[in-house]
Amino acid sequence: MTDSLGQQKPVNIKAQLQACRSKEETFKTLVTLSKTLPRLPTEEKTEENKVKGCESAVWLIIEEKDGLRYFKADSDAKLMRGVLVAILSLVEGKTLVDIQKMDLTAELAELNLSSYLTSSRTNGVLAILSKINTL
Amino acid sequence: MAFDPSSLRPLFPILSQQAYDHPLTYLDNAATTQKPLSVLDAIQGYYLSFNANVHRGAHFLSDRATNRFEQARDTVASFINAPEQSHIIWTKGTTEAINTVAFGLEHLLEKGDEILITSLEHHANLVPWQQLAFRTGARLRILPLTSNGKWEPEFGHYFTDRTRIFAATQISNAIGVSTPLPTMLNYAKQQGAFTLVDGAQAVAHHPVDVQALDCDFYVFSGHKMYGPTGIGVLYGKSHALEILLPYQTGGEMVRHVSYQATEFNVLPYRLEAGTPHIEGVIGLAAACDFLNAQDRLALLAWEQSLASHVYSRLQKEGGIDIYSPEKNTTLVSLSVPNIHILDLNAYLDSQGVAVRAGSHCAHPLMAQLGVAGTLRASFACYNTMEEANRFCDVLLEAIDLLNDE
Ligand SMILES: Cc1ncc(COP(=O)(O)O)c(C=O)c1O
Repeated sequence: MTDSLGQQKPVNIKAQLQACRSKEETFKTLVTLSKTLPRLPTEEKTEENKVKGCESAVWLIIEEKDGLRYFKADSDAKLMRGVLVAILSLVEGKTLVDIQKMDLTAELAELNLSSYLTSSRTNGVLAILSKINTL
Repeated sequence: MAFDPSSLRPLFPILSQQAYDHPLTYLDNAATTQKPLSVLDAIQGYYLSFNANVHRGAHFLSDRATNRFEQARDTVASFINAPEQSHIIWTKGTTEAINTVAFGLEHLLEKGDEILITSLEHHANLVPWQQLAFRTGARLRILPLTSNGKWEPEFGHYFTDRTRIFAATQISNAIGVSTPLPTMLNYAKQQGAFTLVDGAQAVAHHPVDVQALDCDFYVFSGHKMYGPTGIGVLYGKSHALEILLPYQTGGEMVRHVSYQATEFNVLPYRLEAGTPHIEGVIGLAAACDFLNAQDRLALLAWEQSLASHVYSRLQKEGGIDIYSPEKNTTLVSLSVPNIHILDLNAYLDSQGVAVRAGSHCAHPLMAQLGVAGTLRASFACYNTMEEANRFCDVLLEAIDLLNDE
């Protein structure tokens, strides 16, 4: 299984985002994080892998191995790729049951990402969360 | 001497706040403008001193409310130089006004008739016509802007003896282009078509004279011209309004009702079912008063100078695709190759700069331009040159941050 989070450790991602003191810092951190997300090859950017309801195009692929979930994702918007890195760092390598027990909205709020949930990207991020959570 | 917007700033206290520790720079005026204190006072004054239902009379407050409500109709009529107040129909906004016409004319359309619109239209001036075409078997035809943002030199052939309705925007909300209305309306009239002009993006900037335009219908929204949301106007010539079948029925629009039949009221009431948006009407009249008190041409020149300043600064930078005209427009619409407009928007927002990124409710136009959307900075009379420059500075910073080596 490829490690879709590159070299970034989840703890690092959390610490980096929590250290942000302004919208601008969060923006810059997300841009930096976005660079760690391996881009999907064109053939995987299918309609089927597309998450509906996002303002930017988002593709999300879920793979299961030994009952654990691994994710690959991409977006045409850089900030969304940063947000994806943050979201996936929370759920990568967990079982579906464990993921479903998590309050992802609250965890993203802890990462200073609430505004990405409440802005017009709302539906998008919620759609991503719901895809992560489903069978 | 150039117009100085600083005299207007105190009338718009909302603008003097911080957004994430940056001065708020509001450049999303084509979506909705801010409201001057006089509009807010008018709305509050209505609730403080003459709130009552209108036209149901017979008491002190209701008479006051009805008088002010009908005075507002006069104010709006003279604002667009309509011949009489009965030509002014209150609607929720541009969208409802267009729907009122699209449903009201349905009984006149036959299979094979043509409805002509331009490729600049907001969905509000497209979907109602498309759906009307679906319901009646009429054909929706598009008069296109060419790829270099110009009109075909000879577009007369789009107007045929089957053209029953011609609907066009005065100014494009997405790219700020104006339509050559006099020529187009002339062609439409020669074919005996009903004509509707979408003035949503024009009223805040240009003095409007519906009699000089000589269109059958003219529609606009209050909230884009310093007035409140939820109120808009359908202006029509008498015969054009008379021919519309009411698309909503109920109270207020009737004269006499029995179980067997209903006699409708006269214009304008015939097309205004239900209790109207009274506070909105009062607020809209105050917005007209606000604009009437300004030197409108000086305001327009100022707004255009802000847009053309931004245009030329960004043009000089290079690497930015600009879709709006260089001059005679009050907005700048752009995209940057290989950078997502939502990313640009997010950075601008983090710096307190409010613009709009998206398709601007004009999917077909975006498809024609070959972009998913654009970033639009749109100016109003209270915007300053500092704000125009700040938009450019922050946009260029964003491009730097988001560019991949
Ligand atoms: C050109 C144009 N037409 C119609 C509309 C729709 O106006 P409203 O949403 O106020 O009905 C808009 C608003 O964005 C517009 O810009």
